[in-house]
Amino acid sequence: MDVALESSLPSSDQAACIIDCDVHPIVAGGMETLMRYVPQAWAERFRRKDAALHGISGVPMRFQHPNGSVPRIDARGPKGGVAGSDPHHLIADLLDGNGVDIALLNCIQAGAVAAALSQSQSEESVVLTRAYNEFFQQEWLPLDRRLRYAATVPVQDTEAAVAEIRRVGRDPQVAAIALPLLNIQMGNRWYWPIYAAAEEMGLPIYLHVTGIESLICGTPQITAGVFDNYLDRYLAMPQLAESSVRNLVLSGVFERFPKLRFIFAEFGFLWLLPLLWRMDRIWRGLRHEVPWVTRPPSETVRARCFFTTQPVDEPDDPRDLERLMTLIGEEVLCFSSDYPHWDNDMPGATLRFLPPAMRRRIFHDNPKRALRLS
Amino acid sequence: MRVDAGPAEAIVARHFTMVTAGTRRIGVTRLTNGALRAVRDRCPHKGASICQGILGGTWPPSAPGELTYGREGEIVSCPWHAYEYDLVTGAELFWPKGPGLRLYPTEEVDGRVFVLVPETRA
Repeated sequence: MDVALESSLPSSDQAACIIDCDVHPIVAGGMETLMRYVPQAWAERFRRKDAALHGISGVPMRFQHPNGSVPRIDARGPKGGVAGSDPHHLIADLLDGNGVDIALLNCIQAGAVAAALSQSQSEESVVLTRAYNEFFQQEWLPLDRRLRYAATVPVQDTEAAVAEIRRVGRDPQVAAIALPLLNIQMGNRWYWPIYAAAEEMGLPIYLHVTGIESLICGTPQITAGVFDNYLDRYLAMPQLAESSVRNLVLSGVFERFPKLRFIFAEFGFLWLLPLLWRMDRIWRGLRHEVPWVTRPPSETVRARCFFTTQPVDEPDDPRDLERLMTLIGEEVLCFSSDYPHWDNDMPGATLRFLPPAMRRRIFHDNPKRALRLS
Repeated sequence: MRVDAGPAEAIVARHFTMVTAGTRRIGVTRLTNGALRAVRDRCPHKGASICQGILGGTWPPSAPGELTYGREGEIVSCPWHAYEYDLVTGAELFWPKGPGLRLYPTEEVDGRVFVLVPETRA
């Protein structure tokens, strides 16, 4: 679908209020910046072992972006740092420049650290996760009320994760709990204390790749065998969400936590349609194996799950995309840009062909239901 | 058409006694309360021989982690896709908008069971 074709279609009005459900900040200065949020003993430990070099998700060369950078080089801003590291530029470039009224900040480096790159027994993951959260709470969120935050939890320690949820949950600008995964499916009881705490605080669970899936033992192994290159890995990521939706439904999590919502970010959404059909079909016949799944899976998914739109697929005729979105159930779709990554979907150029009312629901109404927005 | 299904004492729960009416195969059974049921041996989903499926009970919806069992002898599960049908009503158990079983009236006369089958194909 090229820009010319999309431009020739009737363009819908801009959504009255745009809620962007996936924006990627980066800590300027990396691990050293975080040290001011870390007790001294820990700071000295991280400095001694050069955590600034090794502590952030280092991706092997085969998975490096073929053009050299995942963050856009044109989004660096006047200070020249990595795109997403300057909050003032992010606010001006994304929010002011595109009419975004609310942006959900999601720092995926924190997730990588929490899930696998730091130790759990020595509580490195607990210390660093809290440092990331405190950094954004104190140095980003106060800059602009339009900024909201998906706080990362130390998934390796569920007690600590629960405590962190209760701590960050008191912050009205925290709108979700970012849950990096272990190599344990999302329906497993390992995560139940985290779900209980999030439900208690009214916060949705937010799933996004951390970038190290399938690269390190202990992270979700997504496909059969090791990815071969960036494209291979990029195209495989939706399978993580597909597996997670399936396992959450069949494990009874939605029944066990009746108020909890789940947001699946940056996995796309078209894969959902055959999954819904197939889950319903097999549930009809073998429902008795999972009797705690008390209604057709598609009903549960449409009621309790949300899926961000980026990366939007591009069929030759965008009207096919509209039809598929309707078949899936547009109520589950939430706009996201993925700013400032290379494949972001900027709001002014995304889904313009949709009917105005549908676009408004996807850009505003659905995100408002999905996130906890004070 | 009045089809003789045999002695009443031979029609028992959890078992289909098969009869034919023209080209139609029909399974006859009793529910646990003794009521008779005669069902067309054709799954309304994709046409399987449903009387060769599982005739038993089911596990109804329950709280997470809990398991209960009931409806013994009242649920038939298709051997192909395992869809469950309620022999009491003929309806698919947990999919109300789906097509149900074709049930036929029965009568018990002088110690024998008869299935009343329309002359037209149904």
